This record gives sequence, C-alpha cells and structure tokens, in this order.
Amino acid sequence: MTDAAWGLLATMVGTALALLLGLRFLAPRGFTTFKRELGSFLFQPIGWIILVLLYLVRGYEVASLLQRAVFLPIDRDQFAALYLQTSSSSLMLILVPAILTMRCFAEERRTGSLEVLLTAPVKDHEVVLGKWAAALGFFVLLWLPGAVVLPILATGGYLDTQLNMASVLSGYLGIFLVGSLLLAAGCFASSLTDNQLLASLLSMMFAFGLLAGPGYLQPYLAPGSGSFLEAGASDGGEVVASAYDDLVVWLRDTVLVPVLRQVNIADHLGNWFFRGVLNTSHIVFYIGGSAFFLFLTTRSLEARRWK
Amino acid sequence: MIEVDHLSKRFGATLAVDDLSFRVARGEVVGFLGPNGAGKTTTIRVLAGYHSATSGAVRVAGHDVLTEPVEVRRNVGYLPENVPLYGDMRVVEYLRYRAELKGVPAAERKTAVERAMERCGVLEVRRKLVRHVSRGYRQRVGLADALVASPPVLILDEPTSGLDPNQRRRIKELVRELSEEHTILFSSHILAEVGEVSDRILLIDRGRLQADGTIDELLERAGGRTLRVEARAPAEELVGLLAEIDGCGPFRELADDGPFGVVEAGVEPEADPREACARRLQERGLLVRALALQLPTLESYFAEVTEGGAA
Repeated sequence: MTDAAWGLLATMVGTALALLLGLRFLAPRGFTTFKRELGSFLFQPIGWIILVLLYLVRGYEVASLLQRAVFLPIDRDQFAALYLQTSSSSLMLILVPAILTMRCFAEERRTGSLEVLLTAPVKDHEVVLGKWAAALGFFVLLWLPGAVVLPILATGGYLDTQLNMASVLSGYLGIFLVGSLLLAAGCFASSLTDNQLLASLLSMMFAFGLLAGPGYLQPYLAPGSGSFLEAGASDGGEVVASAYDDLVVWLRDTVLVPVLRQVNIADHLGNWFFRGVLNTSHIVFYIGGSAFFLFLTTRSLEARRWK
Repeated sequence: MIEVDHLSKRFGATLAVDDLSFRVARGEVVGFLGPNGAGKTTTIRVLAGYHSATSGAVRVAGHDVLTEPVEVRRNVGYLPENVPLYGDMRVVEYLRYRAELKGVPAAERKTAVERAMERCGVLEVRRKLVRHVSRGYRQRVGLADALVASPPVLILDEPTSGLDPNQRRRIKELVRELSEEHTILFSSHILAEVGEVSDRILLIDRGRLQADGTIDELLERAGGRTLRVEARAPAEELVGLLAEIDGCGPFRELADDGPFGVVEAGVEPEADPREACARRLQERGLLVRALALQLPTLESYFAEVTEGGAA
C-alpha cells in the first residue's frame, strides 16, 4: 500500500470513529437509538438475506472478472473501477438503502411505537441521527465482505499486477458517501408515510433517478444535440424566437447542465471515486445532501405534533 | 404536578378537546373518565408531549410542555393505550434500552430494570420476545417501562383495557401501590375501576370537562337516594299510603308487575324511611315483595352527564 492509500484508510476509519464518538457524546440518546436499531438489523433475517443474495451475484461477477483478467491483463488502476462498477453495485445502491430505511419511521408509525419513542426524553433529531447512523452502519457491514476479498485477490497471485489500493479505498469512500445520502433520503421517505412499501418505492425512485437520470438526460443537453433545448429549435417569429432561444440556452448552460453534473452519482463514482480521484465538490455534495435530508426528516417528525 | 389551562386541540375540523382546565396535585391519583372518543387520549397525548395543543397551556412537574418538552418527558412515565412495544426485543433487553433512552445512568440501569420488572411481575417472561408475551404481560411490560426511570408523574392511558378480570385486578393493585410514590393520572371508561383506585375523578365528554371531584362529591351531585317499594296493591294505592311518611320525597309510579305495584320515591339525605314504610304496609296487611334503599351509582351519574347532556 502506498502512503496515499494508508492516508485514505486512516481518514476513512477516523471519520467513522468520529461519527460514532460524536453520536455517543453529543447525542447520547441518539447513540442508544443507534445501538437498538443496529441490533434489530443484525438480529432480523432480512439483512442477512440481502447479504447472501447480493454476494451470490457478486461472487459470480468477480469470478467472471477474474477470468477476463487472465486473458486480458487489466490495468491495475482500473481494477477497482471494474470491481466496483458491476451490476450488483447498482442493485446495492438502489435497492439496499431503500430496504434498510423503509422500516425506520413507517413501521413505528404503523404499530404506534413512534408514540412510545417520542414521548421518551429524546430530541427528534437524536432519534433521526441514531436511525440513520444504524442504517449506515449496516450498509457498511454489507459492503465489507467485498472489500475483504480485494486484498486476497491482490496478494494471492490471481492478478498479474498489484492492486492500486488508493483507488480501491477512494471507491469505497464514494460508495459510503452515496450510501449516506441515499439512506438519509430513505429515512425522509419513511417519515412521510406509515406504509413501508410506499416508503421503499419512493427512495428507490430517488436513488434510481440520481443514478440513471443525469446520464440519460445529458446527451439532450449537449450543444448540437438537436433537442428542443437547442438554440434555433423554435421556428417562431424572429425576434421572439431569438429571445426564447437566449433564455433556453441560458437555462441550459447555467442551471440544468451544472445541476445535473452536480447530482450525477454514476459519473461521480465511475469517473472520480472509482478511479482514485477525489473531488471536494462531490464530497461536499454528499455530506450536505445527507444533512439536508436528515434535517427534513426531523422537520417531518416535528410536523406530526402539529397536525 | 399537572396543570392544564384552557387546553384545546383541533384536528382539522373536529375539536377533540375544548377548553379543558384541571389540576392534579402531588401524590394524587386521578381517574380520567369519559366515554370512548371523549378526548381522553388526545388530552393525555398532549400531557405526554406527543401532540401539541392548539391553544392553552399545559405544565407538568413545573415545566411547560411546549417550551421544555424534554424536561416534561423526563418527569413523566407514559403508558399509551395499545402499548406498542418493539416486538423483536426480549423483555429485559427492551427495558434496558428504554432505561438508557430515558437517561438512567449506566451504573443504576440494571437495578432499575430489575426493580421495575419485579414490581410489575414480569420477571418470569424476562427472556421472552416482547411479541410473544400475552396481552396481560404486555401491559405490565409497558407499565414497567413507564416506571423504569422512576418519574414523579405516571400517565396511564386505559391501563386495564383488553385484560381479563384477574389481570385487571392485579393492575389495579399495582396502581394503588404505585400511588404511594407517584402522582398518577389514568384514563378509563370503566367506572368501577376508577372508583376503586382514584382519589378524584375528572369526567370529560365531547372534549369538555363535565365534572371534577371526589367520588362522594360526584355521587352527591348524581342526585339523592331512592326508595323502591314493590307490594301487592295498585301503584296509586301505594303512593297514597306512603305519601305521609317523613323523609319521603315525590313518588313515581313505575309499571305494575302483575298484581304488584312498583313505586319509587326520592329520599332525603340522612333519612331512612324503610322501617316506617314496612310498618305502614304491614298495618294494611299488604304483601311486600321488595323494599330497598337505592344508592346513586357512578354509572347513573355517568349516563346522566354523558348522555343526558346530549339529549
């Protein structure tokens, strides 16, 4: 491992510890909630069923990747990207956060235990933080076995080059950040309804939209794409048309394109994190986005008192 | 300990609680009585800090529910109506978790949980999953949860609903025991229960406070005692015979039962005209089938207030 890899590993472990310690000392009731929720993930079959199913798929994918690596030597810098960019990864990002968080508040609301929880001397944000942190903790547990396989591949002589651990770690950092955002959004979806299915569908739609949406839309926004957002696409009167065109172009170039670029999870992961390139604006986007949804969740719980 | 001033709670177009005011003093056990849908649970949820009031002020243990919700909840042990608990935890785990959530220090947690389990009689199910215990135990686990942090105020919403008579008796005994150290407000629609356990009764109906007083006070308000006479003679004749007896109020003829006339009379407080009536009837040689002094019941008062008002 290079110095950069060690540094990144230390930063990641340090961040996780800081999150836990921060919860423990700044929001002790949140930490209690975290322990209880993580326990309920660990002692219920659903998490383990997800784990088994996903690793069946993943095992198959890794095996075929390795076979390919035997015939076509893979660039050591690219291996992490290929390893993480499999279809089971998309599944784990779209389905898993939704499944982990759908119960969060919807189930408590349905059974009425939310009343017991929120009449204990806890602040709403502590409950929200605890539940989100527990889901994130279990999410990390679900990814760990895959991460453990990598050093084995790297040292076991399965590959004819060494792994670039820095890009592997930054890939996992990306997944952690994306997971944190999607889980926060899932918590929010779950706080809106008492129907778990609805909550999970909402968060799946959100995750799918962020993963696939920008990549799908971007070709239509490129200059010369010939779409309706193209200058000159309207054939109206000349003065009106040119004003309209200016507006459209302005909207496209200063609003739509930058926003889509900023929320393009697939691009962030595939072209940046998985290749070992960290971009501060991406990291800020995920942390800020998570905080935003956790804040919305707290508000949504509070709103209940006033209805 | 509990001060409620002009509390109102509106859900959309329905006014669930309408200008409710009452006080509960330290160490009192107060029964919160009313028919289903009267606004008991809504009021209790405001007290427990689950709902916010639409208007009015609520203070519990000196803290305002609106501005210091966490302080209020620290002072209140709350048992909600259907006792929703986490089914996937074991009883003892659940109570430990709740104790931690309520801020019982780690060093005292174990003792606090054991004590609460012992008081509520759930020691024998401690290792069972909450979703596997019976309704009665579930209720007691909920009660143990309310007690575990020894809050000064206990608010129990329908603690005996859905229980069999034995379980009900045990809960009542427990509430009586707890009343030595806690201020208790509990709701019920079962009159006998409230009468047995509480010092004072708050009777609410359609969101409004209809009566507030000790059981004796309420009974007094419920109207006087009555004398019921059944004898083998037409009712009018009985009324004529008994009219002059001291302490008997206005007579009411009830439907004759075959050859027996049935008459009811109001009786002045402290008076007992039974002996005089019996003598009078005996003088006439009338066969007496029943002669009974009837005390007003909480039931009749309850019906009078909650239904009489509606008519």
